[in-house]
Amino acid sequence: MTTLIAQLVNGVSLGSVYILLVTGFNLVLLVARVVHISYPHTVVLSMYAAWYGMSLADNSITAGVLAAVFTGILVNAVMAPIFARFSHRGVQADINSTMVVSLAIGLAIVELLSHGFNNGFPVSFSGFFRAGGTTFGTDVLHLSVAHLLALILSVGLTASLFFLLYRSAWGRRARAVAEDALGAAIAGVPVALTQRYSFLIGGTLAGVSAIILAALLGFASSTLADLVAIKALAVSIIAGLGHLVGGIAIALALGILEALAQGYLGGTWANAVALVVLLVVLLLRPKGLFGSRL
Amino acid sequence: MRPEPVLAISGLVVHHGGVRALESIDITANSGEIVVLLGANGAGKSTLIETIIGLNVPRSGSIRFHGEEISGMAPDTIVRRGVAVVPEGRGVFSSMTVRDNLLLGAVPGDERSHRLASILRRFPVLSERSSQLAGTLSGGEARILVVARALMSNPGLILLDEPSIGLAPQILRSLFDLVVSLAEEGFTILMAEQNAYQALRIAHRGYVLERGRVVHRGSAADLRDDPRIAEAYLGASR
Repeated sequence: MTTLIAQLVNGVSLGSVYILLVTGFNLVLLVARVVHISYPHTVVLSMYAAWYGMSLADNSITAGVLAAVFTGILVNAVMAPIFARFSHRGVQADINSTMVVSLAIGLAIVELLSHGFNNGFPVSFSGFFRAGGTTFGTDVLHLSVAHLLALILSVGLTASLFFLLYRSAWGRRARAVAEDALGAAIAGVPVALTQRYSFLIGGTLAGVSAIILAALLGFASSTLADLVAIKALAVSIIAGLGHLVGGIAIALALGILEALAQGYLGGTWANAVALVVLLVVLLLRPKGLFGSRL
Repeated sequence: MRPEPVLAISGLVVHHGGVRALESIDITANSGEIVVLLGANGAGKSTLIETIIGLNVPRSGSIRFHGEEISGMAPDTIVRRGVAVVPEGRGVFSSMTVRDNLLLGAVPGDERSHRLASILRRFPVLSERSSQLAGTLSGGEARILVVARALMSNPGLILLDEPSIGLAPQILRSLFDLVVSLAEEGFTILMAEQNAYQALRIAHRGYVLERGRVVHRGSAADLRDDPRIAEAYLGASR
């Protein structure tokens, strides 16, 4: 019973990170029509930036958070115009070209992390990020500050994003671009600008995901980037590419499934869960459980 | 001195994938006029509309709107300058409400609610369905929504691309009546249309396109009476 509860708590925390990851990934996919395979790589790069920022500022949490969020936003802001070059009539990105470009950027980030930081060794966080913060609870239920942080930030940011999408002028434009970029352009929507904002919002989510991952894992490594990329892509495909709500549901479910597999089957099997589920879903429902939005 | 045309296109050449889609097009539209572009499928009517709105970059020639060169500008910039387009097909954003569809029309933030109220007063059918998803509207209602969205920006020029496609005759008559009333209010209309008989009934002037070239031009009455036009375009649609 104790194992079950502990793994459910871990699963919800892990699922919360996946929610932010897949929501950022799907947002860029929907609005900019970019299969941003290197999006999870920017998350891990932001984790390294947090580590570097903290090492410069005497392990200051504020410095780590600022460095991660700034890096997430900056990297995505730089990438947006690169992807925009591969667009049809200046409004609709060529999905295949941008996927290849994103893959190349991901490889470049992995190379940078492998050689540019800490002599290529994984980086370990200290202080709050090492222990996940104060642990509290009862004999059965143990919670850390990192667990709560993951849940609160994930719920808060996802709710804010949906509020933005359905209650703001940018959100209205983003939904129009997601449905028909060419139609939006001739209705007067500044498509390129709307798409760039989606990258900036995606970058913010990447930075926050990096902070939560750092708090939950306590380390970052170059190989983590590919692993996170596989998970984000798997969640998105299982739900249906570009399905925001479906992505959230599957992210949470997969986080819990992985944590349970970790608790009862062992760590190696946990990483295989996403791929097994992906295989089964692709065989039974090729467009994902909720249907693709592309 | 003659007033400057609202739209003046001269020597326009457009290529599509190495093929010449429009060749030496000269077209004008004056304030309050309904100008119709006639021609068969593939004649270049929609390409011309797409080029005016900025979706195609011309190889040469100029497109002037109220004297300002607009060719090469991004579509949203051209719309903000005062050119609105009612595209072929439904043209609505199905997953968004009628109200959100209207608010997409290019209009400054401080005027938005005032313009929305005025448009909803003008089109009661949209007012009744303002919180309904646009995807649930009938074909005729969807076309009215797109015209209403175009009017949100109080445009100087409205481009209509094949408005009759898919509409029942009665709804088409109401739509064309709306176009006439818009012209009477001073809006300038350039309309690409295959239904030559109906279009020439409401237009002031027209151009006939064949394989990317203007082959006939004149007043709507002259074009209606031209036996070559009657034989090629009016026979089937009268």
